[in-house]
Amino acid sequence: MAEVLILGAGVSGHTAALHLRRLLGSQHTVTVVSPNSQWNWIPSNIWVGVGEMAKKDVVFPLAPVYARKKIGFHQAKAVAIRPKGDADDPRGAVDIEYTLPEKAGTTERLRYDYLINATGPKLKFEATEGMGPGGHTESVCTADHAVEANHKLREVIEVLKTGKPQTLVVGTGHGTCTCEGAAFEYVFNVDHELRQAGVRDLARVVYLTNEAALGDFGVDGMVFDQQGFQTTSELWTGSLFRERGVEAIVGTHVHRVEERTIHYETLDGTSHTLEFDFAMLIPPFGGVPLQAYDAEGNDITSELFAPSGFMKVDADYTPKPYEEWRAEDWPTTYAAPGYDNIWAVGIAFAPPHQISKPRKSPNGTVIAPSPPRTGMPSGVMGKTVAMTIADRIKHGTSAAPHTASMARMGAACVASAGTGLTKGSAAAMTMLPVVPDYQRFTTGRDERETRGELGLHGHWVKLMLHYLFLYKAKARLGWQMIPE
Amino acid sequence: MAQLSMHEPAGGGNPVLDLSKAPLPTAKTLGARRNLWLQFWRFVAFDLRIMRMVIKGHH
Repeated sequence: MAEVLILGAGVSGHTAALHLRRLLGSQHTVTVVSPNSQWNWIPSNIWVGVGEMAKKDVVFPLAPVYARKKIGFHQAKAVAIRPKGDADDPRGAVDIEYTLPEKAGTTERLRYDYLINATGPKLKFEATEGMGPGGHTESVCTADHAVEANHKLREVIEVLKTGKPQTLVVGTGHGTCTCEGAAFEYVFNVDHELRQAGVRDLARVVYLTNEAALGDFGVDGMVFDQQGFQTTSELWTGSLFRERGVEAIVGTHVHRVEERTIHYETLDGTSHTLEFDFAMLIPPFGGVPLQAYDAEGNDITSELFAPSGFMKVDADYTPKPYEEWRAEDWPTTYAAPGYDNIWAVGIAFAPPHQISKPRKSPNGTVIAPSPPRTGMPSGVMGKTVAMTIADRIKHGTSAAPHTASMARMGAACVASAGTGLTKGSAAAMTMLPVVPDYQRFTTGRDERETRGELGLHGHWVKLMLHYLFLYKAKARLGWQMIPE
Repeated sequence: MAQLSMHEPAGGGNPVLDLSKAPLPTAKTLGARRNLWLQFWRFVAFDLRIMRMVIKGHH
């Protein structure tokens, strides 16, 4: 009998749990530890944030799904990993602290034979003074944040209806943020809502981003083949900004936010202030804080984790300049170095470096989008590691690992730009691979598969993905037929 | 990524991008983006491309 422990029940952790349960016999246990009681289809938080969907449409309780699938579930947060066990037992262990209201604060030590760290991000609002739901800006990173963002947006729309102009700012806060695609989606959904309310002419809508150029999306931008000509995602997205009348400010790092004022620096080193009435700014992500100890109780956190808090895996972390970055730097198996039974997937793994060219202002401020590793790639990593573990359990520890490098896999990014079955719109992009490989492709990516399209069909795709992935996550009949 | 010369600070103290060189869609393009029949085929084509990527790029 083998015990598999999974920390985190987001896209990657939940995917890994369902596949492991499918692949392993009932004599083996699969257990998930997550501080959240609900699963959240995060891409649709955008629609919650503009009132087009309710919170209940994007979340569902995890416990009934895990009970039905015979997956163990602890509503708790992991606080420490003991990869070599402790004085009582040499098997690996994880210390957890319950967040389940009835057991809140109580701790337990869980043993494992195989461990997947899929803890996702820590939302580091504190990296920017005055930012976040406790400060002066909104967020759509969680369903509850999105509900609150919609309340604030409605207040601003009511003010606009009185004829008073308002400034709405959407984008990224810290210079090292990721998830620019979410900010991009939200700004165009806000624009759409303002038009629907008939108040767009009184609203100034500003997109404030750490991307050095529009269309970078933290993946170094894309080159598309459009009717026989190469065009860039910068020009393509610039067209949408111009068409919708959304102002764009790029290469920014927000230093602090005061009530109705954003203080930020741009890549040229100059400082600026921007007055606002409504702001939604994405925070930077860090690893969920976890300590690591050896069997004697010595702290080995720096051995397992990068300073950012993300777990080190089979990537090449040798510092090197942008020009020397290679596809081979990226991990393929997601195994933690030195341990043949620990993996980190999704946002939890430490990337070797950014994907976009890193930049600094003359003042030394780092303004460099972090690599996105959510959605499709997260799900693929979760399934890949689940298959590796299942093979190890069934065929022995010498079974070859499955691989899924972000420098080989593709991803679809469907950025909603307004809702409605006949009036909706979205920027639908595909890229292959996610991490550009300039040794294989002159533009970094396969031009046949790397495309960008705008239109109503993009909204249909986004809506289809919403229902498909909720169905899959609920492990309904045939869920495994739906690709990650 | 190739840089376009769109970055020109505007008035008001904020370096807002000058997007006047970004191409605007024509009325024909805007119509095509809403045409149900055309969009249905774009929907099918996009889904097929995702599936092809899943097969080519995963595992």
